[in-house]
Amino acid sequence: MNIIQSTCISAQNTFLTPEPAFGHLPAGSKLEAKEPPYENIPRSLLRRMGKAVRMGVGAALPLIEKNITPNGIIIGTGNGGMEDCIRFLNQIIDYDEGTLTPTNFVQSTANAIAAQAGLMSGNLGYNITHVHRGLAFENAVIDALMLLKENPKANYLLGGIDEISTYNFNIDQLGGWVKEEFPATQDIYETTSNGSLAGEGAVVFVVGNAPDKPDIKACQTLHSTHSQEVMQSLGAMVELHLPGGFADVDVLISGENGDGRFKHFYTDCEALLTNNTAIARFKHLSGEFPSASAFGLWLSGEILKHQTIPVNALKNPGSTSTFKNVLIYNNFRGQQHGFMLVGLG
Amino acid sequence: MDREILVKDLKKHIITYLNLLDMTPEDLKNDVPLFGDELGLDSIDSVELIVLLEREYGIKIEDPKEGRKVLVDVNTIADYIIAKTPA
Repeated sequence: MNIIQSTCISAQNTFLTPEPAFGHLPAGSKLEAKEPPYENIPRSLLRRMGKAVRMGVGAALPLIEKNITPNGIIIGTGNGGMEDCIRFLNQIIDYDEGTLTPTNFVQSTANAIAAQAGLMSGNLGYNITHVHRGLAFENAVIDALMLLKENPKANYLLGGIDEISTYNFNIDQLGGWVKEEFPATQDIYETTSNGSLAGEGAVVFVVGNAPDKPDIKACQTLHSTHSQEVMQSLGAMVELHLPGGFADVDVLISGENGDGRFKHFYTDCEALLTNNTAIARFKHLSGEFPSASAFGLWLSGEILKHQTIPVNALKNPGSTSTFKNVLIYNNFRGQQHGFMLVGLG
Repeated sequence: MDREILVKDLKKHIITYLNLLDMTPEDLKNDVPLFGDELGLDSIDSVELIVLLEREYGIKIEDPKEGRKVLVDVNTIADYIIAKTPA
């Protein structure tokens, strides 16, 4: 399954630009997305959209408008339009289950993103939303991989989207998933405290069979709290798809997020690599959110396309000068592990 | 009830309930049709306006025919609120 095109709305300058720029720093513990003006969304629709829907549709429409009629729309989102959902639930309490307005309800369901993109583009194909928290995006990828095996000539719109909602941010902070006020100048990876930076974004791909484009060779998920089990599963996937095993991995894109409790997963993963492998990290650029691995996949496409790792993302340059195989390892809260292998040719 | 204050208040509510981006109460003219080309409101917005009247002014519109006469522009809504509000 190849990545034919992609768009990325994130906290960085990544949307519809040939040269993405990574210099945006967090405000406190939040890395909020830099939203474009959404000129292709009618104002009458835009005013009703919550942030997740807005970002998702905003990222999807340029791809649909460009030249492709996808055979389906497959979205992964951990939380969907959480802000509107909370607004709707608050209305139920505030107005004692009386008259409620439909907009917040309609916009808050997780499948509103894929549905709205389908409605606006008149796409009557397969339309589905995967909502498996930290593996929502990986499950969307697996869905697309299976569909393409059945329909090799098809192409699909595949996306990972999540927003920071005020409610969720507060709950996550109370739960120890977000660092307390975090200075923008501090290196998140040097901290040993609990939590990470809250993030959000919308990354959408057109995937299909196009041999000259980056190829998503494999995607696998695992629920586990045991690093040894995770590394065994990761090793088995790499050996199945790369003849030289980890020696063939040119770049590791690590989902390390500065949460001291789960750093050992990433350290153990890095220990599997040879000295050739370069290591890149992205959570200081995207922030942490359930479908953040979509940003990692987008980054892999950029690395393979430009044959260079953005300096802001680089942890270890390794000794390889050409990049053919990229391994993405991400875990969500130390429980949900996602592996993706992307290559050229 | 002071009509001028009511209209100002009503416009603020309309902008909030309908999330009319980039619009100020001054931009919203009293006699411009709400459901014409200018604002581009639709049937979902009419439900939002009915909920606005109920929540903010305690007025229920239950007859759709009545709604069509009331939800024309800011003036008609303001007149309806004044007529329905006990002196």
